[in-house]
Amino acid sequence: MEEARDYQVNLGVFQGPLDLLLFLIRKKKIDIHDIPIATITGEYLIHLEKKETINLEREGEFLLMASLLIYIKSQMLLPRESEWEDEDDPRKILVERLLDFQKIKAASSLLKEKEDQQTKLWKRTIHPPLPEVDEADMVEVSLFELAEAFLTLMKRKEKDDFRLIHGKEYSLEEKMKEIIDRLKQDGYLDFCEYFYGQESIEEALISFFCLLELIKAHIVIAVQETLFHPIKVWPAQGART
Amino acid sequence: MKTRVKDVIESLIFVSLEPLNLEKIKSVCTEFSNAEIEHAIQELIASYASNERGLQIIQAAGGYLFATKSEHDQWIRRLLNLEQKNRLSRASLETLATVAYHQPVTLAEISALRGVDATYSLKSLLQKKLVKITGRKKSPGRPLIYRTTEKFLTYFGLNDIKDLPSEEEILKILDEEQANDE
Repeated sequence: MEEARDYQVNLGVFQGPLDLLLFLIRKKKIDIHDIPIATITGEYLIHLEKKETINLEREGEFLLMASLLIYIKSQMLLPRESEWEDEDDPRKILVERLLDFQKIKAASSLLKEKEDQQTKLWKRTIHPPLPEVDEADMVEVSLFELAEAFLTLMKRKEKDDFRLIHGKEYSLEEKMKEIIDRLKQDGYLDFCEYFYGQESIEEALISFFCLLELIKAHIVIAVQETLFHPIKVWPAQGART
Repeated sequence: MKTRVKDVIESLIFVSLEPLNLEKIKSVCTEFSNAEIEHAIQELIASYASNERGLQIIQAAGGYLFATKSEHDQWIRRLLNLEQKNRLSRASLETLATVAYHQPVTLAEISALRGVDATYSLKSLLQKKLVKITGRKKSPGRPLIYRTTEKFLTYFGLNDIKDLPSEEEILKILDEEQANDE
């Protein structure tokens, strides 16, 4: 499911324009340091034309690369008095990006190998039975304490030059799901840590609302061992599976 | 019977969910000298590495932890009813490799290096706790800076970020690919 949501720019099987270019370079057995820009631009455009429609949002990067190629090609066509010095070769910027990307690709294939080895090793993912958290001993945190803790955290964040960013929308539902998922995964949620990890004030606020909703619906409870201890959010008794 | 430090350390590693590092062990085993502790760890690792056991002690993210041996993978998956463990997608791996080799790095830098917008894959890596935000870059817009986490090291079985495949290993792969083409 995650795969489907993943932002993958696949023009066919390519992970983006650099991937496509590398493929063409290998196919044509071209020296990456001396790319015949006209040939490669032609090949590249043929691949783009195979697509009947281009989804700008998802495949815009391919067009950007096409314009860069054409730009470089035009630069190469300009008459010049002397041979290109290495420094002002218009292809330089492209070559550097390709070399960097080639390394990343190779590195990720090495990481993949390591991942394959590691997935065969099973490690513990569950805590050994910790002393049962006796909920009776825990003080349920009141709304005011929660709000206060939240404000303190936000103030602390403000000092980190935390600015309001508009434009990104968070849905209550998704956030609630996120909180519940984290609870399912980790068993509990550290209040401070969670809010400190939020990207923007908006996101933090929405999360806070979600948390309040969840508490109201008795799906989770916020507790602390004693006053001034870290506030933790647990699935509420009964809701626990 | 006298308590052996080796047995103590074994139980410490057993109860630890995250790799247990030497400093932690030393801080707990105050009755024993550092040399005793270090020796005991080596002995412990060696005894688990022998064929007598199904478990092993591995080193990752600067600490020690128990893991099963790879040859028993199929039975474990059978027990847990799992066809395959989830792997990272190609996009995630590429993004992760970019962060690992170019950290500290911003989203814009990652996207530029990959030639593809990395917003989504970065977000999913954050959720998996394989990368983390470590601050803001002092440049226009003050973008967030990303780094890999300890969990990243554990996930790939690396003891230290220095254990990432080296430049030479990467170039070797590239040479091999080229050789295959020709």
